[in-house]
Amino acid sequence: MADSRDDFIIAIRYALLKKGTKQKFSLFFLISLSILIITLDKLSLPIVSSTRAVINDLVYEVAYIAATPGKFLSYLNKKKKDHFNTVNKNKILIEEIESLKSDRYDNLYLKTENYSLRKVLDLSNEGYKKDEISIKARVIIDRDSPYLKSLLVSKGRKQNIIKGMSVFSKGYLIGTIIESNYITARVLLITDLNSKIPVVIEGTNTNAILGGTGKKTDLRLDYLPDGFILEPNKILYTSGKDGFLAIGLPVAETYLDKKNNLRIKSLADPRQASIINISKGQFNK
Amino acid sequence: MNILGRTKNILLSNLPVIIFYMLSFSTFEGLKEFPDLVAFYFNLQMIIVYFYVLKFPDYLGYGHIFFAGIISDVVTGIPLGTSSLSYLILCFFTSYIRNATLRSKMTAEWIAFIPALFFSNLMYFIVITNFSHLSFYYVELLQNTFFTFLFFPFFYFLLNSYQKNIVKINA
Repeated sequence: MADSRDDFIIAIRYALLKKGTKQKFSLFFLISLSILIITLDKLSLPIVSSTRAVINDLVYEVAYIAATPGKFLSYLNKKKKDHFNTVNKNKILIEEIESLKSDRYDNLYLKTENYSLRKVLDLSNEGYKKDEISIKARVIIDRDSPYLKSLLVSKGRKQNIIKGMSVFSKGYLIGTIIESNYITARVLLITDLNSKIPVVIEGTNTNAILGGTGKKTDLRLDYLPDGFILEPNKILYTSGKDGFLAIGLPVAETYLDKKNNLRIKSLADPRQASIINISKGQFNK
Repeated sequence: MNILGRTKNILLSNLPVIIFYMLSFSTFEGLKEFPDLVAFYFNLQMIIVYFYVLKFPDYLGYGHIFFAGIISDVVTGIPLGTSSLSYLILCFFTSYIRNATLRSKMTAEWIAFIPALFFSNLMYFIVITNFSHLSFYYVELLQNTFFTFLFFPFFYFLLNSYQKNIVKINA
């Protein structure tokens, strides 16, 4: 009994301390170093934060180059799909153009009516245009992980990107800045579990919090009033209750899936974003 | 031997290290590049760590494993040192298995991969829950772990045959 226990302890000690012929460090030393780094990272001391920002910038730039073969593979796959979808899309688009042409005349009439009514009520459009500063950035890495759904973008503190700014792709909100380094920044996507956006549901005055589940087609609404029944095909707009995001930005839409379950999908596709706009809460066209 | 041949030998001998760093830098995660096969993604880094520490420890140093883990953490955006610690725990279990095993058999090593993966992911889980405010995608993590275990034999034979050729060339 004592012998087997001794053997066990010897084997563990050997595994931890023995370096091997070509090993420069023992496992014990490296495990201790890892724990030290995790602890320092948790303490968020100013020197550690600035060191981390430098490491981040360096690694992100190298990672961008290293990700090129993987991106090329995705590009080929996308091109193949695009090719097969083009003909069908073309037919649908022709029909849509016809329908939009007729809608355009209605819109022109409504615009004129709106203008004249505003004039009568003495309302102006000023105030909506303030702070509409948007910075264009390139997506460097869109690595997915079981822990964080995020993007890395090519602009940072140097271009006045700060933590909390909103990120848009093709007119839709896709996330917020959670980490800003000197020349790069990290965007937390709205599909991430940690994302919480105050929204209002189209056609109602109901407020709720939109959270992610990791999937673009399955977002979650929290803090809905008791007994509220959510209907399909409703757009969710930002309510602006966080005091940062502008009111009325379209974020997500309710829909019925194949099994007739009501679900919420993001209007933007964060994984397809290559060029994004970063702004102080308002979307700049 | 000429310079070209020597360079080729050095490159071939260090290929696992190069691949390991590339995987940490790049966005490639198993079959995740193909959206239809997204459910089958796995952690190739863990397979490489387990295989080389078990079979050819002189070809992949612990230092490289540590640094690649740090890079992986920076790219993924999780607390620095989490992946390193997770890989090193895997190394520790693998090293223990190597010392305790008298006769190596693929099936036994494949089964031994389960506790090694379990403790490695457990460490990951502990660090993420205690040292960050990140939430967890349990299903994705379970899928990842399951397919990492499932694809091990394929990579075992692939890496084993490659490494045996390298050992022959270097001999």
